[in-house]
Order: sequence, then C-alpha cells, then structure tokens
Amino acid sequence: MGAGAAEIFAGADSGIDLVESGGEIAARSPLQLFWRRFRRDRVAQASGAFIVLLILVAIFAPLVVKLFGLPSPYTQNPSLSGPFGEPLGPNGAHPFGVDPLGEDVASRVIYGARVSLEVGVVGTAIATLIGVTLGLLAGYYRGWIDTVISRLIDVTLSIPLLLLGLGIGSACAVRGCVAGAIQPGVGVIIFLIAFATWTYFARIVRGLVLSLREREFVEAARALGASDARIMFREILPNLVAPIIVYATLQIPLNILVEAALSFLGVGVRPPTASWGQMIAAATPTFNTAWWYMVYPGAALLLTVLAFNLLGDGLRDALNPRTSQ
Amino acid sequence: MRALRTILLVAFVAAVMTTLAACGSSSSSSSSGTSSSGGSSLPAGVKNPVDESLTGGKKGGVLNEVQAEDFEHLDPGQAYFQLDYQITNSTQRSLYSYEPNTFSQTTPDLAEGEPKISDGNKLITINIKKGVHFSPPVNREVTADDVVYAFDRVANPNVANPYYLGYLESIEGMKDAKGGPIPGVKATGKDTIQIKLTEPQAAIVVASMVLPWTAPVPKDYAAKYDAKKPSEYGNYQVASGPYMMKNNSEGKVLGIGYQPGKSLTLVRNPNWNASTDFRPAYLDQINIAIGGDANVIGRQVLEGSDMVQSDAPAAPIVKLAVQQHPSQLTISAGGGAGDRYVAVNNSDGPFKNVNLRKALWAATDREALNRLRGGKTVADVMTHFLWNGIAGFEESGGFPGPKVDYNESPTGDMKVAEKYMKLAGYPSGKYTGSETVQVVGDSSAPANNVAEAVNSTLQKLGFKTKLNLVEHTVMYSKYCGVVSEKIDVCPNVGWVPDFGDPQAVLDVPFNGNLIVKNGTNSNWGLVNHPKINAAMEAAAKVVGEKARGEAWAKIDEELVAEAVAIPYQWAKEAYIESKNVNGINDYWNSGTFNYAFTSLK
Amino acid sequence: MTRYIIRRLLWGVLLLVVVLALLFVMFYILPTADPAKLRAGRLQNPKIIAEIRHTYGLDKSLPAQFWLYLKNLFLHFNLGYSYYSNAPVKELIFNRLPATLSLVLGGAVIWVIAGLSVGIISARRAGSRLDRASMGTALVFVSAPEYWLGLLALFFFASDIGKIHLLPGAGSYVGLTAEPAKWFTSLIMPWLVVAAGTAAIYARLIRGSLIETMGEDYIRTARAKGLTERRVVLRHGLRSAINPIVTVLGVDIAVLLGSSVLVETVFDIPGIGRLNYIAITHSDYPIIQGTVLFASLFVIVANIVVDIAYAFLDPRVRYS
Repeated sequence: MGAGAAEIFAGADSGIDLVESGGEIAARSPLQLFWRRFRRDRVAQASGAFIVLLILVAIFAPLVVKLFGLPSPYTQNPSLSGPFGEPLGPNGAHPFGVDPLGEDVASRVIYGARVSLEVGVVGTAIATLIGVTLGLLAGYYRGWIDTVISRLIDVTLSIPLLLLGLGIGSACAVRGCVAGAIQPGVGVIIFLIAFATWTYFARIVRGLVLSLREREFVEAARALGASDARIMFREILPNLVAPIIVYATLQIPLNILVEAALSFLGVGVRPPTASWGQMIAAATPTFNTAWWYMVYPGAALLLTVLAFNLLGDGLRDALNPRTSQ
Repeated sequence: MRALRTILLVAFVAAVMTTLAACGSSSSSSSSGTSSSGGSSLPAGVKNPVDESLTGGKKGGVLNEVQAEDFEHLDPGQAYFQLDYQITNSTQRSLYSYEPNTFSQTTPDLAEGEPKISDGNKLITINIKKGVHFSPPVNREVTADDVVYAFDRVANPNVANPYYLGYLESIEGMKDAKGGPIPGVKATGKDTIQIKLTEPQAAIVVASMVLPWTAPVPKDYAAKYDAKKPSEYGNYQVASGPYMMKNNSEGKVLGIGYQPGKSLTLVRNPNWNASTDFRPAYLDQINIAIGGDANVIGRQVLEGSDMVQSDAPAAPIVKLAVQQHPSQLTISAGGGAGDRYVAVNNSDGPFKNVNLRKALWAATDREALNRLRGGKTVADVMTHFLWNGIAGFEESGGFPGPKVDYNESPTGDMKVAEKYMKLAGYPSGKYTGSETVQVVGDSSAPANNVAEAVNSTLQKLGFKTKLNLVEHTVMYSKYCGVVSEKIDVCPNVGWVPDFGDPQAVLDVPFNGNLIVKNGTNSNWGLVNHPKINAAMEAAAKVVGEKARGEAWAKIDEELVAEAVAIPYQWAKEAYIESKNVNGINDYWNSGTFNYAFTSLK
Repeated sequence: MTRYIIRRLLWGVLLLVVVLALLFVMFYILPTADPAKLRAGRLQNPKIIAEIRHTYGLDKSLPAQFWLYLKNLFLHFNLGYSYYSNAPVKELIFNRLPATLSLVLGGAVIWVIAGLSVGIISARRAGSRLDRASMGTALVFVSAPEYWLGLLALFFFASDIGKIHLLPGAGSYVGLTAEPAKWFTSLIMPWLVVAAGTAAIYARLIRGSLIETMGEDYIRTARAKGLTERRVVLRHGLRSAINPIVTVLGVDIAVLLGSSVLVETVFDIPGIGRLNYIAITHSDYPIIQGTVLFASLFVIVANIVVDIAYAFLDPRVRYS
C-alpha cells in the first residue's frame, strides 16, 4: 500500500499544471489534443480494450462460464477431492482445477472479476465525488473552509488504511454497521475505499482550483455576476475533467488491490462470493501441493491491475506530454 | 486464513458435576475410551494415546514444538483451553491430575492422597506432599497456605477466572468473595487444608481440583502482582512442576520465557524433586514457536528432527504422514477428542419445524464434510449423539447409527430430503418461506469450508441464506452462544466433555433447562424439548455405568428422532512428531502433547 | 523556522489525539465483540462479567475511558494490557518492533538502490529495448499484490517446500542479535518481495524526473563545459531528479511500518502487523488501539520530518 501512496503523491506534484500545457499551442481544445495523443499510444489502447473485454466478461459471467462449458462457481462437487480431502488439479473438465470444496477454479476466477471491478469502479467513483466536491470548496473558498478540509485530509491520511480495514471489516462482519448502512462484504470495502481515498482527489483538485480561480475566465464570470456554485461547477469543473479521469483511472487498480488484500486477510468479501483475494487466502494453507487455486486468481488480479495501470499511464502521458518520451 | 486448529474449548458445567457426584466417584470406571474401536480403526502403524508406553524414555534433549495458534491465558488461575493446559500441566502441580492415557482416573499430584470428605459431604480435608518446591526466584517449599491462596485468588476479580462460580459456589464465602481470604478455606497445619461447604457438594469441588487453578501460588510473592487490575501474576508466575517458563532473576516471564504470539520456552525447574511426582520429565528444554503455516510446519516436522506440532495438520500432511511416516502420527479417537455437528435453531426461525431439520439432515453429505476436515483417517461420520468409548454408544446404534431414513445415507439423499420438505408443508420440495437463514461459521480453514458446504446444502433445499465467517472464539461468544442473536445455523460447533460419561456428552449441549439466556450459552441450537429435558433430569440420577448408558442411549434416540442437530463428525485429533521423538499425547486433553512424558529417541 | 517546527510538532500531537479519539469512538460504536464476554469464555455468569468489566475499566463512560487512556499514555506511557495474556501492550509492541523495522528498513535499502539504478539506466537509454523492458517489468511489479508474490517466491525458492531449495522460507525469522547470519538469510525473500513494488515506482519516478532534468539549460551548460557524461548525470542531473524520492521515501517507510501485515503474514514474521492482525481477530482491543497508534505515529512523524527537511533543503519554501 505504501507504494500506492508514493505514486499518488508524485502524481499530485507533477500533474497540477497539466491542463493548461496544451491550450495555447493551437486552436484545438485541450481535450482534443489529449485524445489525439492518446490515439497514438498503442499499449494504452490495448489495455483499454482488455478492460472493456473484462467488463463484458464480468457482466456476462454466467454466459461466459457456460460458453466454456464450466460449472457454476457455486457448484460444489465433493467427489472431486481425494480420500484426505485434497483437491483435484487442472484437467480437461476443470482447466484451472478445483478447490477443496470441489468448486471450479476457472469459473470462480471469471466471477471474481465482478467483485474486483465493482469495488474498483464504485469505490473510486464515490471517492472521486467526495474528493472533487471538497477539493473544489477548499480551493475556491480558501480561508477556514480550506483549513477544515485540509485538516480533515491530514487526519484521514494518518490512519493506516489496512489496519482500519481489518478493524471495521471484522466489526461489521455479521450484521453490518451503523444501523445497516454498511453491509458486510463488498459494502464495507467500498465504504473503506471511499473513506480513505477521497483525500487524494481532494488534494489534487484543491491545488488545481487554487490556480484556476485566478484565471481570466473565472474573473469574467464573476464580473458578470455568476453565483459561486455556477463558477465552481460550470466554469472551473469542466477544466478538471481530464485530470480527474486520469487520476481516477490510476486509483482504480489501487482500490482493486485493497479489496484483494482485505479479502486475503479474511475481512473483505465473504464466501461463497468469488473474490480473487479471498481465493488466494483459501489457497495459502496448501499452496505448495495445490498451487492452482493460488496461481490463477493471482494472475487474474495481476493482469487486471496491470491493464488499469497501463491505461492510466497512457492517459496521463496524453495529458502531460512532458513525462512521455 | 491459515490452517489454524479449530478449538474445542474445554467446558465444565456444575450441573454435570452435581449429578456425577450423586452417582458416586467417577474414577476407576472402565469408560476410558480403550473399548470398542469398531468402525473407527486407525491406519496401520499409527499411534493411539491410550496405548502408549509412559515409561522408559531417554533422559535429556531439547524438543521444538510448533503451533500456529497462540496461548490464551497462562496464569494457572485463568487457564481454560487445551493449549494452555499443555503448559500448565508440566509447569504447575494441581492437587489432582490425569495421567496421559486416561480420561477418568485421576492421580494425586500435589495432594498426598485421596481427599477426606466428612460432615455429610460438607467438609473436605486434603493433605499435600512434603518436599515440593517453587521454582526460582521463590525457591521455598510449598505449604498448605499456598494452596489456600490459590483458592483466594481464583475468586479475585483481578484474576478474572471465568468458571470458578460454576464449581465452587458451595464453598463458604466464595459467592461474596472480592479478592480477600475465603472464610471457608483454611490451612489447619503446614500440610493440611480444610474446605468448608455450605451445601453438600464436596464431589463437585473435588472434581474441579484437576484444573490448574488448584496449583499452589506463593502469596508473599504473588500478592503484589494480583493487586494490579488485571493481575500480572501470569507474567511473573513461578512453577511447582518439573518445568518452568524461562524467567529472569525477578521472576519475570513475559518477554523472556514467553513472548505472546511468538515463542515460549520451558526449562527444567531446578527445585523440582522427582521423588514427589509421577511425571518422568525426560526432556531438558522445550522451545515452542507460535505462528506459521500449518502446512509448512507439517513438512518440517515430518522430515526434520526433534520437533512436534500442536496443530491439526493440513490434509496433504496427513496424507504424507499416513503414506510415508505412520509411526510419526498419533490419532486420538473417542471421548477425549470430541464431536462436531451443525447446530440448528430449534426454538426460533424456520428450523423450529422438525421436518425441516430432518430434511437438512437427509440432504447433508456428511462424508463430504468430513473429507473437508481430512477424511476418514481423522474423522468418523457421526450418526447419533453419543460417542464411541462412552457408555450407551452401542445401545444407541454404534457406528451405523439409528435406522431412520434421514440417517441412512452418509453422503446425503435428496429424495429423502424432499419427502421431509413436503411433510414440512413445502409441496415443491423446496423451501418457499420468506425467512432468510442466518449462518455463522468459523473463518479459519478447514472449518470455513465446512460452513460453505452446509450453506450450499441449505441453498439446495431452497433456503435463502446469509453466510458469515468470523474468528472461532467470536463465533461462540458473540453469535452462536448468544440467544438474542437468533442465529439459525452454526455449522462449526463442537463439544468436548470433562469425563467419559454420557451425561457429560449430552446434557449441556442439548438440555433446554440449561440454556443460559444472558451470557454465553452452550446449547447452541437452543434445543428445548420438554420431554427430552425431563428424561435428562431423570437419567442424571441413574447410578452405575451400564444403567446410565442405557438411560442416556434412550435420550440419544430421542435426540435423533427430533433431529435436534445435524451430527457429522466424531473427531479424531491427529498430531505429528519427528522421527526421533517419542511423543506422549494426553488423551484427556484432546490428544495434545504432554511435555513431561515426551522424550527423544 | 523554530516557530514553524514547534507549530508542526504541536499539530502532530493534536493529530494523534484526534486519530485516537476517532478510533476509540469507532471501535466502541461499531459492534465488535464485547471484550468482557470474550474474556469470560464459554460459560458465563453475570457477576463474573461485571467483575471483568470493572477490572478492565469497561464499566466507565466512553469519555472517561478515553481520558483514562490518554492520561495513561501521556503521563505513564502505558498503553493498557492485552485481554488475553494480560501483557502490557507497550512491551508487546516493542517486542515486535525489531522484526517490522528489520523488514521495512531492509526493504527500503533494496528499493532505493534498485529503484535508483534501474531508473538511471533507463533514463540514460530512454526508448531503448532495455528501457522498455525494465519499465514493463517495473509496471508488473507495481501491479502485483505483494502477498501473492510472496507465496510464489515461497513456492519456487523456499528451502523447505520450494521447487528449488534456495532460501529460508516462512517462519524462519530470528532476531538480529540472536543469530545475525540467519536473520539476514531469512529476510532476503521478504525484503525482495516488500521492495519489489516500491522499487518499481521509484525507478519510474527517477527515470521520469531525470529525463526532464537532463533537458534543462544548466545541464546543457554542464555538458558544454566538457564534463564527462557520468559526472553530468550523477552530479548535476540526479541531484535535482532525486527530489521527488526524498519526499516520498519517509512517508513510504512510515506507511509500510503500519501496513506490513500482508508480508508478515505470508512469511510469518512476528512483527507489529501480525500482532495487530491477531488482536483484531480476537477483538483484543488494547492491542488494536496500541498498534494503530504506533502506525499513525510513524506516518505523522514522517510527514513532519519531510516537511521540516524540505524547509531546510529548499529555501524557496516559505512558512508563515
């Protein structure tokens, strides 16, 4: 997780002046330029295509599983384990083998994409929403609002996410928390991600707004008597869309890893729901003899996170040509 | 997430004791578990704790023990868990103890002989041995005062002993004790203590003296630690047995001999006098490493030397052991190892309906559940509620169990299940009611797999379920044991009794009169059928092993007829040791290793 | 400057108290298992539960408990006692600290060295195959969950269960003072695993910022003066390119000190992360509070150190 923090901090430093960099070159809008640059990046496009495919697989998981002739991920088949309860390895009917319950690993890996994407996308979306709103307010109004929000960010960043996750995850394990507002499983993880990562967006947006609010078009709008809300959401926000998308794309893989880590530690997604992290956890007691249900979910996780990172990199480079060579 | 052992906490209940007392001494009965091994045969070459030779070990050497799970409370006044007993058993000398191969015959330990009971079961007099000394830094001889202080401190709120009232309520002044001296317990000489009771319950009090809380504690040394909230004596404890936790000159153990979650080191107690003890104490030192992956540890133990493992080994390890190292495997079967069943809520929710319980029983693939826990080698399919080696087992059906259709197929029979679903009022054979079944299981492997399998069976019957897995102590103390939580199904519960007596097996988990409303209850399925309750009360008063067996066998049949729970496993606990270790396992303590008898070859 | 430092420190202490209060409230409002009931075990009697609640101070009001905790913490540096072993939490943490420090600091040395060298080489040959290969590998390491890498490492290289019996595997950790050689070998795999992701990020950072710096005017001047390329890169280019690393290194180390639980779990290293993890599964509240406090403390201190170091290093930064 430390790695994630470093990447984001570094991004925040080098990303702030990016929106404007292309603006003066030609009569193209920054967004158009951004798009032109992105279209030259093959790797990022391939990653984007992979992610689209992954989303389709996740949505149509039942169909995909049927297409490959696999059993449902929840079908337990006790006859597939040996006399000591040891699970069966990869074979024709079960290309990735089975787990001790006789559940098909391939089928569960496919369904696992659902959880990862749901948590990654929804968690990031909520964090973005909170972070952008607070960042806008802090950057625009400055003064005490800025102070309060900045201090809030300090406090949030001082709480170790994983340890907090372990605590809340186990506390909300059965009946949920806060009168059912936080449900065990995916709900808890999304809450945690939103709680911990809005700060990154808030910081970035705050910095951008601080510089944007002094620009001519904002001055002009103010002179015309536009309300604060209108200036913030109609004038400033559109200029932030591109960087927000980039940082959200870079945040998604981190959040997918957080979900997997919490599920690995046993406080995340609950069985029988298939989650890659939880599958790796289930495999740890016997991974040296039954390697298959440790290796495949991990590989799926790696590929997904890698794809998001490559896409995010591509988007960032397109936004800021200075870092790409 | 790691292959943690599933712990069956040892539970003691006063009600059981009372009635055992009524039927006379439970010692020297033949129900020690050595009898019929029927369907529960062990693989060739595998050791059984009840048959092990306790003498002739080689003196000296260092044993390395590995366990994934940590200890809970090592203060002898608090210890209440089989791993804790593993330590207290070789460091502390309680008044009475068990030898490793028995679950019923006690041996005087610190006590000189059997207790003298007089005044109509209201006065107990015990003489203690001379020549027993405390370990450094106390060093002096143990006197009756030290045992009296053990009685005082067990009721001291700072010690927070969880069970003393269940046993010792009848001792004069015990109920109102706040940490000071107990009026009813006095040293009447240097070696004699006298215990006065307000009720004629001497037998219960005596029965509890096998527990580590009766080990002597030097007041002059311990009082300052016991004054702390909570008591810190456990971190500065002195030993009276052959071994002691390594300590410094002040007696501090914490951080020296015991590093919680990391390691524990036992060394010889230099003041121990072999002539006063029945323990041979062959080893010079025992190093215990806490934590780790059971699978990795298993390989190291089987292929290395000087090692034993105190965790149930993972399936691949059992396989490896049976196939290549059978003489390094000990399997403890029968009453000492306990059972595992799926508790279903008999008092609330859908499973109030007996036919739904029978349907679940019929649908459950019990053989598959056992395979999730290591298969036939370490588990027998449980078909009714009494155990092999316990009176009444054969009468109530032996290994095949009662001949009722929902018990016929150990691999599950959906046709029979369907029949009972229909009888329950679901003509489609699937549950169509609105209630969501709340399932709470244990999160550590392999118990979590059992919970998932049971969850899947419930869904096959049409139930909407909500499965949650939590750490096992949390499962008991917060969910399955709490009446108000209204958990419908607890797939990972299990029971280990005190004695090899049928009442100890059936009474607490299934007697509705013993349901604890506020607090933690051990009748997890809230089984409360007036007819069965009454039969239990009557059977409790029956005297004589055969008669008791017959009486409780009838109750067992009733429990099956009501399908009060879904039994699936008569446990056999497996333990492994290195080739050069002559491991001696405690039959009375779920087959865990006894350091004071184990030796190196 | 002094005033700035003092203010920064005061804010740090306040931050710590706020974090503590937040956790305190959170763990009491959220339905964790009742510690008294957990403590009382399987057979409970209301009187015993009441006694346990009193012994552990659980019968006091929430603010009173918090006040007591703060008082004990700041006046006596007492973090309370474990519900299970009754061991002082402070001792447990200090007992575990060396393992976590060994893991994290050793890992940091590796990731800085590896990150710097790969980053410099890549930047010098930007666009080459080597550059692309190493940046690709770096991204794979950034994307891989470290516990999975750890399991794979054990699967292939552990001396007990691995395919190639190469390095000591899980559970082989011993203290530095006990057996220095074994300490070192037992940590090689965990270090590499813990360092992989961060090294990759650092390599990417260094590469990016070095490429940027090498385009600056003063580098051209240096080159024009006829300095060797090596000297230009190491003396002039790297000096400013390394800035982003300095900023994140402290915080990365601090964050990892609080989140080493994953690698500690896989390699069974008895550090603070494991302690916290086990405490959470047992609802051993004082240990949870203590370990989270330490983890937060690391982050807060690191941030202060970084800020202050920055104030010294970069005269352009002004503080009011």
